[in-house]
Amino acid sequence: MKLYETTIIYDPGLEETRINDEVERVTQPIAQAGGEVIEVQRWGKRKLAYNIRKRRDGTYIHVKHKSPATLIAEMDRRFRLNEGVLRHLTVLAVKESPRAAEDAAKADGVAAPAGEAPRAAE
Amino acid sequence: MARDGESRSFRRKFCKLCFDKVERIDYKDDRRLSRFITDRGKIVPRRISGTCARHQSQITEAVKRARILALLPFTSDQYR
Repeated sequence: MKLYETTIIYDPGLEETRINDEVERVTQPIAQAGGEVIEVQRWGKRKLAYNIRKRRDGTYIHVKHKSPATLIAEMDRRFRLNEGVLRHLTVLAVKESPRAAEDAAKADGVAAPAGEAPRAAE
Repeated sequence: MARDGESRSFRRKFCKLCFDKVERIDYKDDRRLSRFITDRGKIVPRRISGTCARHQSQITEAVKRARILALLPFTSDQYR
């Protein structure tokens, strides 16, 4: 199973409870199909760069998950049929490389200068 | 050196992403990506921005994905 990132833009008119239901409807099948939901990010209501179906805003949900490939196709089909979904996109997630992890650590101000770490290991 | 005054004439371009040591540019990072599109929403070519090949191809892919998610515009209709 591969690691995917799915972003879904819901109609801004949907209430919070409805959004929660929708998120459930995305995550449940993943677990059922033997996948794994790694992270659910709620970006909230954002302004769209261009109007989609005459909407100026959208409620963004971002899900990181491990799923079987067959489920991705099924998910895509369901999003298309779902009137509340303005837009959706599923892409393969990039595995974090050691250097990227190091950069993130550096941004937190934790890691030592890059050149020193290998020498310390010797 | 009187470098600053004549910066318009000969100034070596460099890849800003390499300078920042960006490993991978993310399609979700619309603020960073917006530096690489024109005010009409076009992707800035390498010859203008000075981006290296590796980062330019990452930018291209990321911008296209961000456009699908309406994080970036396909075009700006202000000029129409």
